[in-house]
Amino acid sequence: MKAVMKWIAAASLFMSGAAQAEPVTLDIWTIDRPDQYMYLLKDEFEQSHPDIKLNIKTVQFRDMVNDLARATATGESPDVTYIDNPEVALFASRGLLLDLGPMLAESKVIKKEDIFPGPLSSVTWDGKIYGIPRGANTLALYYNADMFKATGLDPDNPPKTWDELYAAAKKLSDPAKNIYGLAFSAVATEEGTFQFLPWLQMAGGDYNKVDTEGGIKVLDFWGKLLDEKLASPDTLIRSQFDSTGTFNAGNAAMAISGPWELPRMGREAKFDYRAALLPIPQEGATRASALGEGDNVILAKSEHPKEAFILLEFLYSKMPDVWNRFGFVPAANVKSNDPKTPAIYAVFEESMKYARNRGPHPEWPKISKAIYTAIQSSLTHQSDAKTALGTAQKQIDAVLNK
Amino acid sequence: MQGIIRTIRDGSGFDILLLGLALLYLIIFSAFPIIYNIIMSLQTVDMFTLTSFNRPFVGLQNYYDIFSQPVAGTIFWNTVKFVVLSIVFQLSIGFGLALFFQQDFPGASYLRGLFLAGWIMPALVVGAIWKWLFAGDFGVINYALTSLGIADDRIFWLSDPNVALYAVIIANIWLGIPFNMILLSVGLASIPRDVYEAAELDGAGVFERFRSITLPLMRAQLGAVISLGVIFTLQQFDLIAALTQGGPADSSNVAQYWSWQFSFQTYEISLGSAVSVLMIIFVIVVAAVYVRSTRHEHSY
Repeated sequence: MKAVMKWIAAASLFMSGAAQAEPVTLDIWTIDRPDQYMYLLKDEFEQSHPDIKLNIKTVQFRDMVNDLARATATGESPDVTYIDNPEVALFASRGLLLDLGPMLAESKVIKKEDIFPGPLSSVTWDGKIYGIPRGANTLALYYNADMFKATGLDPDNPPKTWDELYAAAKKLSDPAKNIYGLAFSAVATEEGTFQFLPWLQMAGGDYNKVDTEGGIKVLDFWGKLLDEKLASPDTLIRSQFDSTGTFNAGNAAMAISGPWELPRMGREAKFDYRAALLPIPQEGATRASALGEGDNVILAKSEHPKEAFILLEFLYSKMPDVWNRFGFVPAANVKSNDPKTPAIYAVFEESMKYARNRGPHPEWPKISKAIYTAIQSSLTHQSDAKTALGTAQKQIDAVLNK
Repeated sequence: MQGIIRTIRDGSGFDILLLGLALLYLIIFSAFPIIYNIIMSLQTVDMFTLTSFNRPFVGLQNYYDIFSQPVAGTIFWNTVKFVVLSIVFQLSIGFGLALFFQQDFPGASYLRGLFLAGWIMPALVVGAIWKWLFAGDFGVINYALTSLGIADDRIFWLSDPNVALYAVIIANIWLGIPFNMILLSVGLASIPRDVYEAAELDGAGVFERFRSITLPLMRAQLGAVISLGVIFTLQQFDLIAALTQGGPADSSNVAQYWSWQFSFQTYEISLGSAVSVLMIIFVIVVAAVYVRSTRHEHSY
């Protein structure tokens, strides 16, 4: 009986397929594994849009820019791809991405006004919009509420300013038990820059203006955390994921990281973990936070821009589910459907309002390198904060004024 | 037509055919990439112009840019330290082990075979394991050092800028020892026993025999191992990627990793090419020394 049903289903599928035009196949590049975002949404999309097929290829995150650049040079680029936030400008400035403006104006699904300013700026170049954020992430302060209680700190009142953060880290750190006060990442990669920028922005400064009083203040503060062993010296070489791993294992009482940690934290952290907004320099200071995640873009050479945009609309329409299903924070003003870990979600949702884009600039990697090099040379005391940031500023100016 | 077939089957045509195939291979896979690399080092290249030859020539500007980088000096000396220390220790420990396993004792050849395990493992895996061993907060090495009372405090092998380069060198020495040992073992085995026996009868002691027989007869092997060692050390990339990524603050960065960082992290491909051209020149010098050392090979 089952077999018969299958035959009927297959036959009817065949008939309906035959009645329609030849389905369009879109080539998609993504950084997802088969249990993530694009793969999970593929089936739903193909069911609701039988005339469009998706052909997905996974590219490693670190290879994406290289592969995409090569593909556009040889004319083998996909129709739709993922691009990390700070790299959109690189491709947009060379005219390799499709300007979505005209289609956005007609769209009933995507309202430009709904997209948060941070994510919107990450897909904007020269006043035009070249991508749709698939979601976002940002930074917050995770803390171990059990350790707060054990050391007499109030778990309902996490550190709000840098001074409070320092005091809490000092109180929580316990070298005898191999516990550091705070885990974060000052690694010499994009991640180091990602963690540093919000601090700089809160203290006064930005990617184009790093040699400020605020910049020196941040590096001196970070240096103090490392020198007094309130954070592990390995902070210099650990990625955010590795650093947060030590928090999950109970070797750090607080950690600065993003929502992508939550699935693993849920499995590994055997304590009451909570989240708070990033501490600010002093009471009343401007807030800032990092902006991560990436965007879905259409390549300018795509032969099926219309179908590709339908896919982008479909993906955008999943925004209320991205927290629960993919661990992203919505990049637009939508109501999340019954978010998991609601208290932590609320923190990230608010943090999102302060999230600022990195750049945009087509030569972002060079700017980023200048910044993380300054962080490292200051934290290793190869030069003082002022000199390190001065050197970085010179390199950044050289890129910006080119 | 018949003539061609005949000369290929049993005339000089066969030699030319074989030579041609080898030459073709060398041209496609060695000469072309090297020349292409040299050309790129004289141009302005980014990812988007990789496939076209039509790029602006800038002369030696890229080389000037490299040398005017503030870290150039650090990276040069790091590379020198990395190569010299790696080779000295790989060679002396490898040679020592080769001599040791040359002695006749039960299981000598099996044990020698086991030593190859380290060489077979991919450098990335070796790097991951050493990263655990070296870990500052929970590494085995620190645990051993502190519990034996050798070190008072934990050493942050990979994040202390004064130590990081040496940590990478230690891992690289470990990785290179088996290769040195095996090549030198082969050399030792080829020295005829009777030479030693004759020397022994003439009253030569152990050290005298080593100095006047083993070393001179091993000259070609040692030359080969050293030159290959220099080349392998200069192309050691995975280990650095797995352990420190050249950090912290470039304190363990070396030329080959720097070249990669230019080409694939900041996409300054012409600068990356320039670094690799300089490395190629150095390797050519080493190879020339190697060829010379084998030309003087002893015959006995």
